[in-house]
Amino acid sequence: MTEETIQPKVLEPVFNHANGRLLMPETRYWPTDMWKSPWSLPTYRRGAAVLAGLILGIAGVAWFIGEIGPRLAPIYTLAEQFALSYGVPAFWIAVVWTFIKGVFVLLAPALNALFAVWWERKISAHIQSRMGPMYVGWWHGALQTLADGIKLFLKEDIVPDCADKVVHWLAPVVVLIPAILVFAPVPFGKDLIYANIDIGTVYVFAVGGVSVMGIIMAGWSSGNKFSLLGGLRSAAQLVSYELPRTFAVLPVIMLAGTLNIADIAGFQAGYWGGIVPRWFIFYPVVGQVAFIVFLIASVAETNRVPFDIPEAESELVAGFNTEYSGMKFALFFLSEFAYVLLSCLLMSSFFFGGGAAPLPFLDFLPSWAWFLSKTLILMFCFLWFRWTFPRFRVDRLMDFNWKFLLPVSLLNIAAGGVLIWLLS
Amino acid sequence: MTETIIFYMLTAVILLSALGVVLLPGLMHSALCLGLCLAGVAGIFASLGSDFVFAAQILVYVGGIAVLILFVVLLAGSASDKIVRQVNDQWLPSLLICAAFFWAFLKITGYFSGIPAAAAPSPSVRAIAALMLGDYAVPFELISVVLLASMTGAVLFGRRKAQ
Repeated sequence: MTEETIQPKVLEPVFNHANGRLLMPETRYWPTDMWKSPWSLPTYRRGAAVLAGLILGIAGVAWFIGEIGPRLAPIYTLAEQFALSYGVPAFWIAVVWTFIKGVFVLLAPALNALFAVWWERKISAHIQSRMGPMYVGWWHGALQTLADGIKLFLKEDIVPDCADKVVHWLAPVVVLIPAILVFAPVPFGKDLIYANIDIGTVYVFAVGGVSVMGIIMAGWSSGNKFSLLGGLRSAAQLVSYELPRTFAVLPVIMLAGTLNIADIAGFQAGYWGGIVPRWFIFYPVVGQVAFIVFLIASVAETNRVPFDIPEAESELVAGFNTEYSGMKFALFFLSEFAYVLLSCLLMSSFFFGGGAAPLPFLDFLPSWAWFLSKTLILMFCFLWFRWTFPRFRVDRLMDFNWKFLLPVSLLNIAAGGVLIWLLS
Repeated sequence: MTETIIFYMLTAVILLSALGVVLLPGLMHSALCLGLCLAGVAGIFASLGSDFVFAAQILVYVGGIAVLILFVVLLAGSASDKIVRQVNDQWLPSLLICAAFFWAFLKITGYFSGIPAAAAPSPSVRAIAALMLGDYAVPFELISVVLLASMTGAVLFGRRKAQ
């Protein structure tokens, strides 16, 4: 009788060429384990190739599409003629057209939030030597935010017993609606603008300031002392940082001589000596100081690290949005990312020439591609800051604003006047 | 037609929120209604075609003064409770005062009520700037002196007492 002993299957580690080290076969590794040899050349070559391919591919697509704004104008004229031929009154055509444009403006913050949340998670993960979301979606967790959005939709909406129900319900709406309305006078490229109004800059700062009310409402109506404290601190911070943020733009307005955002971007067209673009950031001293003050104040205005002490998890249990759950909570984040996008769009209009190419021979790419790339680079800075700087203490936060940023921005206005006098 | 519809909608918002300021229980609700009322006034400015006054109304009144009032209510302690009786028994004199003011405003605005508004918003910033910093520069600067004085006073009151 022969007894067949079952030999346990012995697995030998096999050299994996992808990440340059020995790995066990038939084993599912964590994504982080695949990253343990950070200087593996093949991985880096592949990453660089993917990045270069993405950039070149997007640039190629942009070159192929060309300018969107001037191309849409004949389509609109065609549709208008078609509707007029069927006897539709011109008034209703204007109304429908306004709504169609409004849908596109509404899409900007929504799509931006879908992308920016994923991007922020990837950036934070890579800064901390992690992989971030990897499973949902086909490529590097690309659909993670969509899955999170569906999850937030399905979540229970919890309202605390001692909350003021109506104000609690209204607060996310009051925060979000201005965050969508501010995109009206902001250009996305040549002729890509919802309302080309003359007072665009004032409008953006005015309507953006209304969100503070929603934050106070959220903090007060939750019936929770931490929320109340967080709401108060948050509102105080937003109201304070609005001042240097507005004052930082004043030299730009003085030089451009207009409040229209698209005109300010158009004012910076052209090149000094054929090479250096006439962007406002390159005006000596005044431009750089204005940009840095505006950047710092914008980060503070969007309640992001290092200025996020009002919604710090460890100090205030996440501040004014503690008592919010599900989609209401998501609305606060949607508006936060909408304001990040707005700040980046404004910075690329005010300081980086809007849709102008950085070098004269690069202007075969359309203006919206330059606008988008400048905005995304600035947005990367916003997300980068979050994982680089520690939080400010709340009193230092206020001191920094009132005792440093505000005097600097006021002096900068005077310096801007001197610069205009020298240039004229 | 459209202007009339928009005007009546805005008027309804303004009147209802103004009533809310007076009648709602709880100081916080009143303050929020005040913000809505001021925003409605901004809408009236926009529909009358004065873009800069619209933006300034939002910037200063909704984003500034209403928020300041909310701050005061939040810091006021028990006055920010959800239900506080806000009226005392002096309703008859207040009604009379309001009626007098209403009559006066009716008389004043009667002179201007027939003037048609511009159809579309026309850029008015340059004209306002030319008036403010040109013809009326001295009164404009005098107002800023008043503001400076009030700020200095606020610093004086806000300063801690010397030990």
